[in-house]
Amino acid sequence: MRTLRGLAAAVAAAAMAVTFAACSGGGSSSGIGAGQGAPTGPKEKGGTVTMAWIAAAPNFIFPLAPATNTDGYNVNLTQPMWPYLVYNGDGGQAAVNPQESLYSSMTWSAGDKTITIVLKPWKWSDGTPITSRDFTFVYNMLKADYQNWINYLPGQFPADVTSVSAPNSRTVVINLDRSYNPDFYAEDVLGYVPLLPQHAWDKTSMTGKVGNYDETTAGAKAVYAFLQKEGGDMSAFTTNPLWSVTDGPWKLASFNSDGDYSYVPNPHYSGPDKPSLAKWVNTAYTTDTAELDALRAGGSLDVGTLPLNDVQQVGILKSSGYSVASQPLPGVAAITPNFYNAQVGPILRQLYVRQAMEELIDRPQIVAKAYAGYADPGNGPVPVQAFSHWASPLEKSGGPYKYDPARAVSLLKAHGWKVVPGGTSTCQSPGTGAADCGAGITAGQGLSFQLLYSSGTAAMDQQEAAIQSSEEQAGIRFALKSEPFNTLVGQFGVCTASSHPVSGCAWQLVDEGYIPYNLYPAGSSLFNTGGVNNNGGYSSPEEDNLVNATEYGSSTQAFYQYEDYTAQQLPWLWLPLESNVWVYKSNLGGFAPLNPISGGLNPEVWYYAK
Amino acid sequence: MTGYLLRRVGQAVVVVIGLLIVIFIMIHLVPGSIARSVLGVRATPGRISLFNSTYGLNEPLYRQFLTYLGQLAHGNFGISYQLQQPVSTLIAQRVPKDIVLVGLSTVLALVIALPMGIYQAVHRDRIGDHLLTGASFTLYSMPDFFFAFLLIAAFSVQLHIFPPEAPSASSLGGLLADPRALVLPVVTLALVSLASFSRYMRSSAIEVLAQDYIRVARAKGLPRRLVLSRHVLRNSVLPVVTMVGLSFPSIIAGAVIAEEVFNYPGMGLLMYQAATSHDIPILLGCTLVIGVATVVGSLAADIAYAVIDPRVRYGRG
Repeated sequence: MRTLRGLAAAVAAAAMAVTFAACSGGGSSSGIGAGQGAPTGPKEKGGTVTMAWIAAAPNFIFPLAPATNTDGYNVNLTQPMWPYLVYNGDGGQAAVNPQESLYSSMTWSAGDKTITIVLKPWKWSDGTPITSRDFTFVYNMLKADYQNWINYLPGQFPADVTSVSAPNSRTVVINLDRSYNPDFYAEDVLGYVPLLPQHAWDKTSMTGKVGNYDETTAGAKAVYAFLQKEGGDMSAFTTNPLWSVTDGPWKLASFNSDGDYSYVPNPHYSGPDKPSLAKWVNTAYTTDTAELDALRAGGSLDVGTLPLNDVQQVGILKSSGYSVASQPLPGVAAITPNFYNAQVGPILRQLYVRQAMEELIDRPQIVAKAYAGYADPGNGPVPVQAFSHWASPLEKSGGPYKYDPARAVSLLKAHGWKVVPGGTSTCQSPGTGAADCGAGITAGQGLSFQLLYSSGTAAMDQQEAAIQSSEEQAGIRFALKSEPFNTLVGQFGVCTASSHPVSGCAWQLVDEGYIPYNLYPAGSSLFNTGGVNNNGGYSSPEEDNLVNATEYGSSTQAFYQYEDYTAQQLPWLWLPLESNVWVYKSNLGGFAPLNPISGGLNPEVWYYAK
Repeated sequence: MTGYLLRRVGQAVVVVIGLLIVIFIMIHLVPGSIARSVLGVRATPGRISLFNSTYGLNEPLYRQFLTYLGQLAHGNFGISYQLQQPVSTLIAQRVPKDIVLVGLSTVLALVIALPMGIYQAVHRDRIGDHLLTGASFTLYSMPDFFFAFLLIAAFSVQLHIFPPEAPSASSLGGLLADPRALVLPVVTLALVSLASFSRYMRSSAIEVLAQDYIRVARAKGLPRRLVLSRHVLRNSVLPVVTMVGLSFPSIIAGAVIAEEVFNYPGMGLLMYQAATSHDIPILLGCTLVIGVATVVGSLAADIAYAVIDPRVRYGRG
């Protein structure tokens, strides 16, 4: 048997070391680090924090949102009221927060197929104890209709659960249909499952009585459908009695559909971090420019984000009473090659071509110039700043492919390409021999590709232009085309050997921004065969085995093996990942340091200093 | 007049339905999967299938259109894919904002442009005319976002006289209750549209000033003020009335740049975001409302003609 707490402590210690390293090493002359230390004045009870969000408008309050509702800001709205069973993010660390999590212990047994969870003796805001029945209520609803849950991933919770039992009011036993890596399951699965108040929500109409309807499949579906219907009625978010029963530190005080909403403390919150603030106001801005104007004008905003294009404003903001802190993002940024594009798929399937492309991307320069120093270097699939504890020594040392144009040119020449720097290199030696271009590549075929990328930020424009320019050193031509994110993702689909050719497979290279990780930076869905975000169709039995080992195995070395292999095989071309830069009132304590997972969303630990 | 109005309304219905058909087809000609566009990185085959069946996107196109017309007949504009709200609610929330912002700026621009145009016509080719022409051309050629930034930098960041954001209230009363916050966005839009109104007014007034009846009025000894207000203004305002009528749909359609800069989510931003994310119900709903506004604006201009100019009468034919 192993417990999660021990692992969490180890992870936390490692994360702390990384956060320090990232902060001390990061940055530019403007001197943004993880944030200043706590304000020196005595802690003041009360006060209001007004926090800005860009283009953020939550539209759903029931924490189990439907599968077709992709508004990521709904989590921002609901998590302060109904936190997840496993609370991800602890102070400045990308780690499980044992204090704010709803369980006191999580024990794995039966070859990591059974989880025994003991809940803390906490209470709902109406004074009713939180019990194991609240977990089975959630489980019953999801089990009845998990296809209509936004967090459902094929084959995982609750589809992988064979049974759930509640031996007593505080204990839940979950039996799974296979062994899992406890880190993965706790952080990426149970870290996204909330507890919900069965005693108040187990009903099928507003006027109906609370019962045990969820105990039958039909009843559970009816309850789920009722709650999802009510959860979308924005006019009643603050008045519907359902949503007044919370177990998080906050209760909703006001809401409008433009994205402005506020909270007041839940006076019955059982956790250790009881809010010190009297009110937490979230306000939406149409653009980061409008938000920056509000910050510079002073007065109305206490917390906001700073676009990287405007880091030169840091001095002005500091002189206006703000502090600035950076927050590494938990994700992977990359260019996805379409291995099954009709024209260039055979070229992109050659590892040496991808190696040459990667070695022509000057990632440190992009970090310095396009991102003003505030970006993860992008050495492989795991961001070293956000997840130092999961980043392998290879990634920490710069990854397998450092910027080396000469080596890129040599690689191409060694495989039968006539390299034309500044022009278009062409295949001179078609064939499948060691010195030939490779299968499916014809004589005279050029290294010319279209690179689609997500528009809207100057940093992305600069990054793609830098890549385009440096690739030309080896005669690799990238024709750039930018599109708004939603337009972009609408144009490309998952392309595989079996699906090709289909209408959504005309794209060649795409940079859609970044794919976020949960707390455990697993590669499933990204690099495994058939993964839902494996758009380019990369497929390797070795990769699949390594990914599976990180999720279903118990070896602690499995993660590094997966990570290094993935970094070397280049299913995607690795790119830097920009960090968030936050601006906050200098007398606001507890805001920094920010962790990559929940940083900026745990105002229960914020306070004003006198 | 009644017969004329009925004919115009009938034409309007045909125009709006035609517009809907064209927009419906054009939206569906845009390459890319609607479900993928909306679901983004969460697009799994299961979710795509659920999305398509939820919104009827797996039906033939003609059936989707007929379903939409059926919904419209019941006052249902559909549900936004992205925002998950009834489109009618979204439009009802946004239109008052744009009526206040663009409407006020249009009124302000007219209040300045009409006397300014007449002044320039009367003082044609003198220093005052040249100065005002230079000023209005400068404002006209200045991108509105740039002008907005200048105003914010001066009056919000430096002088702290006006806030950099428009009012955040969603009701008409709430918006008007915060007049300070309306100053910068209204002035921005008014000044950049000042030139077109004033230039039309100037050239029209120059023509009117050369008419015989103006000479007669002057020869009769009518004071200059009365000549200008009773004869010149009334007779030269007709082209501007046409322009105002044509600008009515833009009052409804909003001003996407000003909405972005001044943090004022109106119809312009709603449509822009819908266009980039394949949010068909919003695009169709907005097109319908703006199409109706165009017809109403044009009709209102025609009626205004009749009111201003007694010679204009609408009868048969």
